[in-house]
Amino acid sequence: MLSTEVDKSTLGLADPAAFCKDFVRKHDYVSYLVSHFYPKHLQNGYFAIKAFSVELATVQDHVSNTMIGKLRMQFWRDAVKGISDGKPPRHPIALALYEASQRSHLPAYHLKRVIDARDAELYTPTHLTVDSLTSHAESTSSTVLYLLLSLLSDSSTAISHAASHLGAAQTFSTLLRGLPFHAKNGRMVIPAEITAKHGVNQEEVFRQGPAVQGIEDAVFEFATIANDHMITARDMFKEEGMEGKVPARVMPVFLSGVPVANYLERLEKVNFNAFEPKLQLRDWKLAWLIWRGFHKRQF
Amino acid sequence: MSFARPRVFVGIQPHFAALSRSSALRTPVVARRLLSGSSCSHAEHSPNSHDPLVSGLSARSHHRADPPIEYDSKGNEVNPYSAGPSALDKAVHLFFFTEIIRGMWIVMENFFRPPYTIMYPFEKGPLSPRFRGEHALRRYPSGEERCIACKLCEAICPAQAITIESEARLDGSRKTTKYDIDMTKCIYCGFCQEACPVDAIVETQNQEFSVETREELLYNKEKLLANGDKAEAEIAANLHSDHVYR
Repeated sequence: MLSTEVDKSTLGLADPAAFCKDFVRKHDYVSYLVSHFYPKHLQNGYFAIKAFSVELATVQDHVSNTMIGKLRMQFWRDAVKGISDGKPPRHPIALALYEASQRSHLPAYHLKRVIDARDAELYTPTHLTVDSLTSHAESTSSTVLYLLLSLLSDSSTAISHAASHLGAAQTFSTLLRGLPFHAKNGRMVIPAEITAKHGVNQEEVFRQGPAVQGIEDAVFEFATIANDHMITARDMFKEEGMEGKVPARVMPVFLSGVPVANYLERLEKVNFNAFEPKLQLRDWKLAWLIWRGFHKRQF
Repeated sequence: MSFARPRVFVGIQPHFAALSRSSALRTPVVARRLLSGSSCSHAEHSPNSHDPLVSGLSARSHHRADPPIEYDSKGNEVNPYSAGPSALDKAVHLFFFTEIIRGMWIVMENFFRPPYTIMYPFEKGPLSPRFRGEHALRRYPSGEERCIACKLCEAICPAQAITIESEARLDGSRKTTKYDIDMTKCIYCGFCQEACPVDAIVETQNQEFSVETREELLYNKEKLLANGDKAEAEIAANLHSDHVYR
């Protein structure tokens, strides 16, 4: 299953799917691990959607001012329009998305929603309230999950609802994991509402990191919200006769909840010190946990 | 510096001479040392004092006693310092002297340290992965050009150093027929690299591209692609080095 060596000499416009696979493997290895549980004929589509999401997420680290970021977002808006018109730009990710949209129905408004959310993030990288961050998470991570669900041609309401909660938890845990990096660059990823409640001085966090008083409480509260979303997502599957098991068809989509749960557990083990260097490493058991999750149909 | 050195001793000598001249001046200094050196100087009272409640505080004062006022034959006051160097002169000489000693000390320290110099053309200093040097156009690993002639770099370039002409090909793709960068105009802001949606135009780590004529600094597409081919491994590593997925 893990036959992973990519032949580098063919990566390019001729084989956009391989390019996306390599791109995801480099930038988001956890998603690459999950990819093996998708049906073979849908894997290319999975890599296209994930590469699209990674590409948009890294735009703000590439650019030094919002104007240039907007240029790139506009490129992607045009690309999405081109994909639905049948004229994708010569960008490997756009070509791969086009191929995927030929196979299964990928609604363009989901793609647009991700672009709009990332565009808005260029202007407001930090959030004041948990609600605004949650709605941002729903427009990014959750929307990517909706896209994956439509890749698997499943759009039942209950499952989409579970995916929206899982997306929020995913964004929160990604942000927490990136906390040391963002603090180094002078961005506080925890909403101001929470940091203010625990009396955290944001400037101190940028300068001193974990030593600041109250930061662990703020991380704890933020992680608790993420965990609540995870629990809500799991509870969705206890209703309607699913007995707590995710339907086998959509299980690959919900496998992305395994690394989230794993991160939150590890965060708890280090007493909610998000600056702990151990947390920056991937858990070596992750591949096994994902495999087990797939067969137990739980996340 | 050279004229200051012989005068240093001239400046200090009257100071010592003034100390040794009057024994009246010396006594309070010695008395202060004894008092401060003894363990119970606060408890003891002076045995010579008439009043047992008064300690010899005057002997511990830091002030030197004023020199006796001298008068000339007409009864006018004479300034005893008028003949010697001024207080400012003396201070300047003292501080210059210590300054020289400290300077010499640093020279001696560095004499025993390894040199900071690097032998430039053979040894090079470290560069940030975000260093912005000579431009290059990249290709995909399969060998196709990345550039899709979207002209975003041309639009964003604040120095208007980039000129692009493109044409549509038979398969519907657009490719550049001309991609020129005027390196004499370029201000190395890196906006072209940031704006490029396909990571085609990048600034490499190369900063050594001096030429003998101006014309050689007008880069065309072939030159830029050649730069990219030369440094592809390094460029890819640098681009991947500091991004985080969120």
